[in-house]
Amino acid sequence: MKAELEAIQVAAQEALKDVKTAEALESLRIEYFGRRGKLTDVMKGMGQLSKDERPVIGKLANEVRASLTDAFEATKNALDCKHQEQQLITESVDITLPGRKPAYGKAHPVMQTLERIESIFTQMGFQVVTGPEVETEHYNFDALNTPPDHPARDLHDTFYLTDGHLLRTHTSPVQIRAMENQKPPVRIIVPGKAYRVDYDVSHTPMFHQVEGLLVDKHVTFSELKGVLVSFARQMFGDQTRMRFRPHFFPFTEPSAEADITCTVCQGKGCRSCGHTGWIEILGAGAVDPEVFRAVNYDLEEVTGFAFGMGVERIANLQFRIPDIRTFYENDLRFLRQF
Amino acid sequence: MNVTLNWLKTYIDFEFSAIELADRLTMLGIEVESIKELGTALKGVVVGKVNSIRPHPNADKLVLCQVDIGEEDALQIVCGAPNAREGMFAPVATIGTDLPIGISIKRTKLRGEESHGMLCSEKELGISDDATGLMELSSDIPIGIGFTDALGLDDTIFELEITPNRPDCLSLIGVAREIRAETGNEIKLPDVNLQEDDSDIREITSVTIDASDLCPRYAARVIRGVKIGESPDWLKQRLESVGIGVINNIVDVTNFVLMEYGQPLHAFDYNKLGEKRIVVRRAAAGEQITTLDEEERKLTPDMLVIADATKPVALAGIMGGYETEITGTTRDVLLESANFDPSSVRATAKALGLNTEASYRFERGVDPETVIPAIDRATQLIVELTGGTVCEGIIDVYPGKCELLQIHLRPKRVNFILGTELEADEIRQILSRLGFGVDTLQQQDNIYQVTVPTFRRDITREIDLIEEIARVHGYDNIPTSLPKGDIPIPTTNTLDEVRRRIKHYLLGSGMMEAINYSFCHPNCFDKIRLAGDNPLRDALKLQNPLSPEMSILRTTLLPSLLENAQHNHNHQIDNIALFELSTVFLNGNEPARIAGILAGEIGGGVYGNPHQSPDFFDIKGIVEGALETCGVMDWTFAKTDASTFHPGRNAEVLLGDQRIGILGEAHPEVLDNYELPYKAYLFELDLEKLAAVADFSKRFEPIPVYPSVLRDLAIVVDQDMPSDLPIDIIYSTGGDLVESVRLFDVYVGDQVQEGKKSLAYTLTYHSATETLTDKEVNDLHDKVVKRLNQELGAELRM
Ligand SMILES: [Zn+2]
Repeated sequence: MKAELEAIQVAAQEALKDVKTAEALESLRIEYFGRRGKLTDVMKGMGQLSKDERPVIGKLANEVRASLTDAFEATKNALDCKHQEQQLITESVDITLPGRKPAYGKAHPVMQTLERIESIFTQMGFQVVTGPEVETEHYNFDALNTPPDHPARDLHDTFYLTDGHLLRTHTSPVQIRAMENQKPPVRIIVPGKAYRVDYDVSHTPMFHQVEGLLVDKHVTFSELKGVLVSFARQMFGDQTRMRFRPHFFPFTEPSAEADITCTVCQGKGCRSCGHTGWIEILGAGAVDPEVFRAVNYDLEEVTGFAFGMGVERIANLQFRIPDIRTFYENDLRFLRQF
Repeated sequence: MNVTLNWLKTYIDFEFSAIELADRLTMLGIEVESIKELGTALKGVVVGKVNSIRPHPNADKLVLCQVDIGEEDALQIVCGAPNAREGMFAPVATIGTDLPIGISIKRTKLRGEESHGMLCSEKELGISDDATGLMELSSDIPIGIGFTDALGLDDTIFELEITPNRPDCLSLIGVAREIRAETGNEIKLPDVNLQEDDSDIREITSVTIDASDLCPRYAARVIRGVKIGESPDWLKQRLESVGIGVINNIVDVTNFVLMEYGQPLHAFDYNKLGEKRIVVRRAAAGEQITTLDEEERKLTPDMLVIADATKPVALAGIMGGYETEITGTTRDVLLESANFDPSSVRATAKALGLNTEASYRFERGVDPETVIPAIDRATQLIVELTGGTVCEGIIDVYPGKCELLQIHLRPKRVNFILGTELEADEIRQILSRLGFGVDTLQQQDNIYQVTVPTFRRDITREIDLIEEIARVHGYDNIPTSLPKGDIPIPTTNTLDEVRRRIKHYLLGSGMMEAINYSFCHPNCFDKIRLAGDNPLRDALKLQNPLSPEMSILRTTLLPSLLENAQHNHNHQIDNIALFELSTVFLNGNEPARIAGILAGEIGGGVYGNPHQSPDFFDIKGIVEGALETCGVMDWTFAKTDASTFHPGRNAEVLLGDQRIGILGEAHPEVLDNYELPYKAYLFELDLEKLAAVADFSKRFEPIPVYPSVLRDLAIVVDQDMPSDLPIDIIYSTGGDLVESVRLFDVYVGDQVQEGKKSLAYTLTYHSATETLTDKEVNDLHDKVVKRLNQELGAELRM
């Protein structure tokens, strides 16, 4: 019987080596462990053994059984493993097929720029306020120290409405509205649309401006410079330098235009900056006392500064779009670029 | 305005290079827009003498010239100019020269004869439009020297932007004064030394000002026996260098002095003036004048004219009259130098659509004290250039003479405004260099009394002086600091928050942001099929639109978005998903709107993510999501009869009974009007109304601890029954125990009776306090089924 057991063990192990499929393994398992299996038969014969033999052979039988069980288990694992590998191979995909991109939208490039400008100034404590686009002569011009026969009105080619109103030519009227509604300190920025009769590669009849106004007991021109230099660095990079040139606006005095170092040549001089190394980006100045008079502020008690910039112009320093009217065609091939 | 470096140097000394000068002027507030080197383009053009001429053997119209340009051998040059003659001095473009008008000079053969250069006309040199013949040069110029050297053309032209507040800089002397502020060097005014004859001007003419409010000063001189002719080269060059056309010696002198002093002058043909006298008055009703440009102009009584005894002879400060203009036969000249009211000149110029060098200056304000120096300077030049004699005396009517303006200036205030630490003495020096008189008013308080020179009419207040000080001190020398004041407490703005959240949401849902002009075409309302009485048709109109397409202000954003779809479709882009956030113009208000369009295809259009056509429920879902981002929950949709939309595929969004927006499929006719070959889905929401109900507050709700039980329910109902009716009944039946109801299928077809549809829902039952037993759920579910049957006649579908 001992020999029989050993023979079974050897035969089973040999047979396991040739097993290739789960089905073959199962029938082999039945052949040995099934109710009529070879090992089962031997185990059944144990009863006929003598008392002396029984523990010896019993022990051997258990060992054979355990070792064969392990061997079957191992073969089963190996087969499973192989099966899974094969399964995975059949599941492989062509990784060059296109990904399924979720649709995503993009803010309009002018808005992207506007939002950046807004966030820089709000971090400096400026609050965003807005005002109407249909305005009166009073708010758009008169209260901003630009009486009807002032030559400065020529600088603004104005759209008039048939009802006597006009489309604001700048966001500056909101300065007046804000000061009428609020006592100093005032620290606001005014983003919004403005309109001028102008239509060519560098002008659209509607454009966006950001106006800024700071009024308090003692605001200096030096602080105007500080705020704008800080803005320019955040907007255009730390290396950006800014220069202030005297200029004229009816509602500021002293008035300035501010240039930044050319974003193309970094100030060395190139075609974009007319070989000066500088690019004009905004107008600014100390609030003219006549403006304070128009809103009943005390001319001696408060001072302030204001600034205004064209958003398309600033956007285009980065984007370099040859015809800025492209901004408002809403061509999706254009909008998707930004 | 243009000025040149050489011309400026005749009024003030300075050592700056052209680039340095441009930089200084720019930093003083006179922006130099361009710098042009005049001579460099004509390098290679030399002075030549035509030694001999013989006919061209093969061409009748050409001749062969032997031209001496100061080299060993004379050059043979083929020439076709009618005025070429032996002994003539003319400019020669030598081989290798690139002329500014685009001609490159090469050795060439013309009809078989060699030509070693080109004899040039003024036009070929880019100096003027004269192409009638060779430019004739004076025979005392050394042969062979550079053409630009010979004519003093080596110069630099600066194009200046003079701001409206600085009319005093609209002249060379004015610009020189700015250089004085920079350098401290003195101005060199022209020497004027008039030799008058002994006939008294008062005996041969007079000036009467009948409108002294509009004419503060009028001066006249009479020069007789003038010979009208061409101006000398130096004068022509000066004028041409700054872009002023040359006319005749008298007009050229008035233009030269205009540029020099900034004082507009006008010369009348004295003998054509009725009664040989001048009356400054308002035009009479119905009067007319033919101006120098030979246009007949109707005058109104608010216009100021210069008249003779009977008729207007000039538009004051704008343009002279045609009848009394200087012509080749003029013998005697009455020269006007006057000052006019800026507003009046501006109004008249505007009304007549005329804009001249004179009106440009008078509108901005001219110094009345320049009247006399300018007329004397011009008179002297006219005498020199025309051989005339000047009558004794000058008529100078000056009803508007003003006291010099004096302003108090507190040096402390200067530093207070600018944030500088300037010494009082520095301030005094700056003002003095600008031509201001500075006196100390009260020693103890350190207040200056500043006297404003007459040429600075823009300076009327202390703040104006502070700007002058800042400008000359240099804006770049003012320190930079950050504001020290308190930051005002910000207020919150729900509308902004709504705008921000919805925009964020729409971007996330794949829509691109559009920005359109606020203008549109009045036919856009027809194109979107608005009824004739729709209040949206009540749009504001522009008085001066750029085009009909931009002639009204939009009252809805939908037409713009449809146009955007059309534009994109026309460019073969058909996956259109756009939105716009903007105000519209309605009933005198500017309410904020958000609108969007889906059209053509959605989806990536690639394998695995094919294009699909959007439908009503895509746009509805977008609107629902937008409402959710604003914390709005209890909206309802209701069909409308809005004619822009497909009658069966549109809805208004209601909050209670308030309409906050509309959405739907564009009506087929609307699609046709915008030439769209596919369906388009639109929405437009009223952001103010949305902001009024928006609720951004959030409170934690416990996450369910007890398991939910899911039950599917398929019912058959009438086909036209809205799918949300059963949902309402399910909720009201189940109460708190119904967590959610989700419609997952709608079926119409063979499997159900005609006129019926099957709706399939998944119900989620859940209790916050216990685990629901099967029995509890079954009982509840049965109750639901029963009520659906009772109230809607819904049959369970097996
Ligand atoms: Zn550059």
